[in-house]
Amino acid sequence: MNILFVMDKRTNAGSIQAVASYVRAGDELGHTIALYGQPDPKYPGMRWSQDLGKFDHVVFICEFGIGWMSGLRMSRILTEVPRTKRAILDADGMYNPVLCIDMYDRNHRDDHGRAFWVGHCDALADKILQPTCEPLQPTVLPVPFYGYDPSLRVEPGTRPKSFDIVHVGHNWWRWREVSSSLLPAIERIRPQLDGICFVGLWWDMVPAGAREDGLEIAFEFDLVRFGRLGIQIKPAVPFTQVASAMSEGRVTIMTQRPLFRRLKLLTAKYFEIFCADTIPLVMLDPAHAESVYGPAGRELALNGNIADKLLDAVQNPHKYQDIVRDVRRHLAKHHSYHNRTQQLIEVLRA
Amino acid sequence: MKILFVSRLERSARAVRPITKYAEIGKQLGHEVAVFGEPRADFPSVPHAMDIHAFDVAIFVIYEAWDFPDLPHLAHLLDRMPKERRVIIDCTGTYNETISAEHDSNHLKKLNGHQSWEWIEGFDAVADKIVQPTLRPLRQDVRSFLFFGYDPSAVVRAYRSANEAAQEWLSQNGAGKPYGIAYVGHNWERWGQVRRFLEAIEPLKDRLGAIHLRGWAWDQRPEWAIEHGFEGVDVDPALLKRVGVKTGESIPFSEVIDFQGKARFCPVFHRPLFNQLGLITNRTFETFCSDTIPLLMLPDRVIEDIYGPDACHLAPGDDVAGRLEDMMRRPEFYWDAVLKTRTYLAAHHSYARRFEELMAILD
Repeated sequence: MNILFVMDKRTNAGSIQAVASYVRAGDELGHTIALYGQPDPKYPGMRWSQDLGKFDHVVFICEFGIGWMSGLRMSRILTEVPRTKRAILDADGMYNPVLCIDMYDRNHRDDHGRAFWVGHCDALADKILQPTCEPLQPTVLPVPFYGYDPSLRVEPGTRPKSFDIVHVGHNWWRWREVSSSLLPAIERIRPQLDGICFVGLWWDMVPAGAREDGLEIAFEFDLVRFGRLGIQIKPAVPFTQVASAMSEGRVTIMTQRPLFRRLKLLTAKYFEIFCADTIPLVMLDPAHAESVYGPAGRELALNGNIADKLLDAVQNPHKYQDIVRDVRRHLAKHHSYHNRTQQLIEVLRA
Repeated sequence: MKILFVSRLERSARAVRPITKYAEIGKQLGHEVAVFGEPRADFPSVPHAMDIHAFDVAIFVIYEAWDFPDLPHLAHLLDRMPKERRVIIDCTGTYNETISAEHDSNHLKKLNGHQSWEWIEGFDAVADKIVQPTLRPLRQDVRSFLFFGYDPSAVVRAYRSANEAAQEWLSQNGAGKPYGIAYVGHNWERWGQVRRFLEAIEPLKDRLGAIHLRGWAWDQRPEWAIEHGFEGVDVDPALLKRVGVKTGESIPFSEVIDFQGKARFCPVFHRPLFNQLGLITNRTFETFCSDTIPLLMLPDRVIEDIYGPDACHLAPGDDVAGRLEDMMRRPEFYWDAVLKTRTYLAAHHSYARRFEELMAILD
């Protein structure tokens, strides 16, 4: 099957890594998978195409924003690709009813915003996919979508360990959990840790337009507190360097925004972190961690006594290496992009 | 015929005036003209409609990507109106390969995120017929349709003679006309020309009277432009201060003609890109409806093609100060050029004529 992805591509965010992995997996399985557009050197290894007629299905990958689906851009696709051949991956759970978690994280500000979003999706396609096993709406099709790509593995010992703890991810609805759970834990054990680094956008600034859009709360940060804890901030890295950046830490922490945790939405980060040469600790409910990572995954969930677990991982890496190996084995078996490609094809064919 | 215009209306920019005129003239001629969308309180004179099936053709008036409707309306439009009955009026020449003039371009990718191929392929997908408001489209598959027109009924003072106009114009000097020079238009790729114009008239500033720029971003370069290194909205507040130029916010389309009539002179500037492509705009014609002497700061070819033989006197060329001095010295000669040009525009560029041309394209 030939599948064309259409997305608002960014080198350092979103689902771009997954698309690159689908392209590779497709080649290995005899499918042609590409991203809509023209070749761009910022995206090495990507296959590009504008030839809509060559593809059996078009999958729109929709994250938070939808403005990129301009009329100019959509006109050609609407004209040349029949509706039955179009699907939408609702990566951020925006197709759901308005949800607000703990008066903080939300998918939409109000029903009007949601209606606008849903109007776009319904006009485009019948099939709405979400990267979760438990969609809230019966009409939404569950597709894990993101997967584990062993070709991204960073060989052990090839990256110097510059930090004890690394966090790679943008500060987008993460501050409340980071400030209320992670930082207090780090504070408790800080004298026993070496360097700590947060890699990503918006840990030291609010992006332009956020205040006007009423989204300032999504980008809260506290540089004084970071400074007091000796936490370094590094700029975001392109998708090709995510595993490498994670490998600079003896331990790498994955956090997830509250809305995604509630919806159990998978992201690329779930799997990229296991490609890095590091001990991954994930701030997920243990049961959810186990459901994705297998039984060993429960041991890597940062839940409850975060400080002790962090310190234990930093000080006893060998103990965790076996757990990580078990998880990787589970991921290779159940969550490879070969599996994902087959799953996506089945859903598109159905 | 029932014609549905598809565009985003704004009160101080873009195509609201011509669309309003097409609706008015279409009605007079027994046609029906509306704009796609729900009725808007801010455009009470513009009929709106959502029932696509009720129309024979859809005419997309496109300046920017956002002139295409959002989903789901776009999908409805494309589903319900066959491609052969859709026309695009490409107001900014985007349906060309990338063309740059100074730092102006038809594909401002940095601003709208669309690459050149997206414009070409998007337009090809939407409509069989693409027209541009220039007499000389670059592509063979583009037809010329000027779209904008001259509305004689909007002329504020229809003088019987050049002498009458000149007498009126002289008597108002310093009294009825608060401005010596006024320019209405946004600071969008125009600063280079405006700067050269202001530098040229600086020696005359005490004799000209107040100079006013009305439109977006004349007071200072917006923050986002500084942040992204975008030069299209450059401005030099120090120069404005030195020449005594006042700036003010945008003017609604319905007030432009009257406002321009408050000045003795009104320059007509087109974007560098437009000058290169010969594209025309509202202001190309609107300025001749105002009670003012238009200064045609345009390429000779555009002046000859559009305004007729007498308009060359209204083009200062390289000697702006010299021409202004001469205009102040013998206004009757120049008002004669204005009145003759008005007559020429009424004969060649009226909206009634434009409507006929449009019907020929639709047929």
